[in-house]
Amino acid sequence: MKRLQLQRWSSSVLSSRARTGGRLQRHLYSSNRFQSTASNPLPSESDLAGEQSTASSGSTPFLKFTKRQLPSPPVQAARESAKLAALHARLYLPSRLPLETLARCLVDASADPDPQFNNTSLALLGNDLLSNYISEHIVCTYPRLPLTVIFAAVYAYIGPKTLAAMVREWGVEHAAFPGGEVDPGLLQFKRVAPGTDISAEPIRGTTRPNEDQTTWRRSITSSVVYDNEYGDPVMAPKPPADPSGSSPQPPVTAEQASCSLVRAVMGAIYLHAGRLAAKRFFEQHILSRHLNLSELFNFSQPVRDLARLCARENYEQPVAKIISETGRKSRHPVFVVGIYSGKDKLGEGVGGSLVEARSRAAVAALKGWYLYSPLEVRVPSSTEEPGAAPWKPVYVDLGEVIV
Amino acid sequence: MATFINASKRPTLALPFLLPSCESASLELRRCQSTYRRTKQRLRIKPDASFGLSSDKIQDHIIYNPPSSTSSVYETPTKFLPPNDVRRALRSDAPSNSQNVDELPPASKSSPEKRYHLTRSDVEEIRKLRLSDPMTWSRWKLAKRFNCSPMFIAMACEASPQKKEIQKQVLEAVQSRWGAKRRMAREDRELRKESWGRDA
Repeated sequence: MKRLQLQRWSSSVLSSRARTGGRLQRHLYSSNRFQSTASNPLPSESDLAGEQSTASSGSTPFLKFTKRQLPSPPVQAARESAKLAALHARLYLPSRLPLETLARCLVDASADPDPQFNNTSLALLGNDLLSNYISEHIVCTYPRLPLTVIFAAVYAYIGPKTLAAMVREWGVEHAAFPGGEVDPGLLQFKRVAPGTDISAEPIRGTTRPNEDQTTWRRSITSSVVYDNEYGDPVMAPKPPADPSGSSPQPPVTAEQASCSLVRAVMGAIYLHAGRLAAKRFFEQHILSRHLNLSELFNFSQPVRDLARLCARENYEQPVAKIISETGRKSRHPVFVVGIYSGKDKLGEGVGGSLVEARSRAAVAALKGWYLYSPLEVRVPSSTEEPGAAPWKPVYVDLGEVIV
Repeated sequence: MATFINASKRPTLALPFLLPSCESASLELRRCQSTYRRTKQRLRIKPDASFGLSSDKIQDHIIYNPPSSTSSVYETPTKFLPPNDVRRALRSDAPSNSQNVDELPPASKSSPEKRYHLTRSDVEEIRKLRLSDPMTWSRWKLAKRFNCSPMFIAMACEASPQKKEIQKQVLEAVQSRWGAKRRMAREDRELRKESWGRDA
């Protein structure tokens, strides 16, 4: 199979400000920047035609002054920004990713509502790539994980809090207010007003049917169908009020803007430098973060669950036995209890009482079951490389224990 | 190393209980007890018998000395490995110390053998009795009469709403007599119990 020509794609998918140009000129001749959060109304065609002649005789200081009219920095500023070049070098981004695209990744939709100049499309692509790579990694590495743990692990790897922490570690600073005169190396977004309660209103307009029935049970399996990769409700797509898509966007938090930055950088690397570079970026920045999966579990009835598991898998019923103990009559006894199925030890736990030690041993046994990992882990996307071995099906488990 | 060659200010032999018996000869030149050499010497403990080589036979294999800590949860028990996993064959060669499993004392009372002796009419009878007179026919009494466990009674039928309300009031009356200490201790115990399922 022939590889896709991503470079050619990128010229058609991305439209940089350098190529369009018309919008920049339009903005140059409008009046001074208003002190309001709404974007400026575009001048009509007749105004533009009338001002075109005066514009041609305009001088450089006038052009510099009207930079303030733009909602986000112009493309030419990307080459002059030291912050942007430093960020490009610090992240060790491929040289095929130009500074102009990196500058576009730093512009959130709340700063510049025009989809041709903000990072929405890049972030959408990057989010799909990130969730695809991380979910295939988790599912192939730990094929027995329960769905809730998979959702929690995906959230821990590429959730908004992690991405915001990554942006802090990258050293990206936030612009106080977006605008054309701002250094393009700063993350530009319109902030929510201080004191706004973000999670006040209930989530409406999701893709889930009967969402107004708050008392109905929402199973974890339905999250696979209706919800996003973290198991959170996903909003249904709304028809845009403005066909050009440049209606002013609501302000966002710093966390949301940081998320869109990381996703957009991922998407931009994929478009400019290809799949291999995107995968390397993912491994270096996301997979390299340490996550202890065994801390994500929370069992309410571990002994009962283990008994059900052994019955399902046709093992002998688990029996708890005291391996050692000390100070039974004292204030702080310690019991070491092992759970055995036949002759095989499934787990071992230590506790201050026999019930606690047995419960902890059952938890250890259940974690031993769920955290099984094959020796050679191969993900489906590894077959996309040229000359890769054919795909062999991975181990698929029956699923978690349902009591 | 840090051997201090200072003349001691006070006669060390006046405090004989501080001195280890073996090195009283060289002690005049030591300043205090906690010298490096002596601390080191105190820590020089003979290793456990299982740790070293036995004197009578020469071993040239790696000694397997399991630590006293629990094993990692990422290490799947052999029984939980899929049948085609390589580790299953690898571990079958390893010596297992599971000979004494049957001798270990049980940690909990073994559940009695399940009998499955109640019929459909018995279950109907249980439901009728519990609904008719919930104060007399509690779960324990019904279990005793039908020779089954109270758990089975709970599975077969539910208490009437009036009985639940009464029981709730009784519980509230009992809890109203608790002081701050007892209430906090009970809540802490619940929290500790919840943490059993989270920790490793």
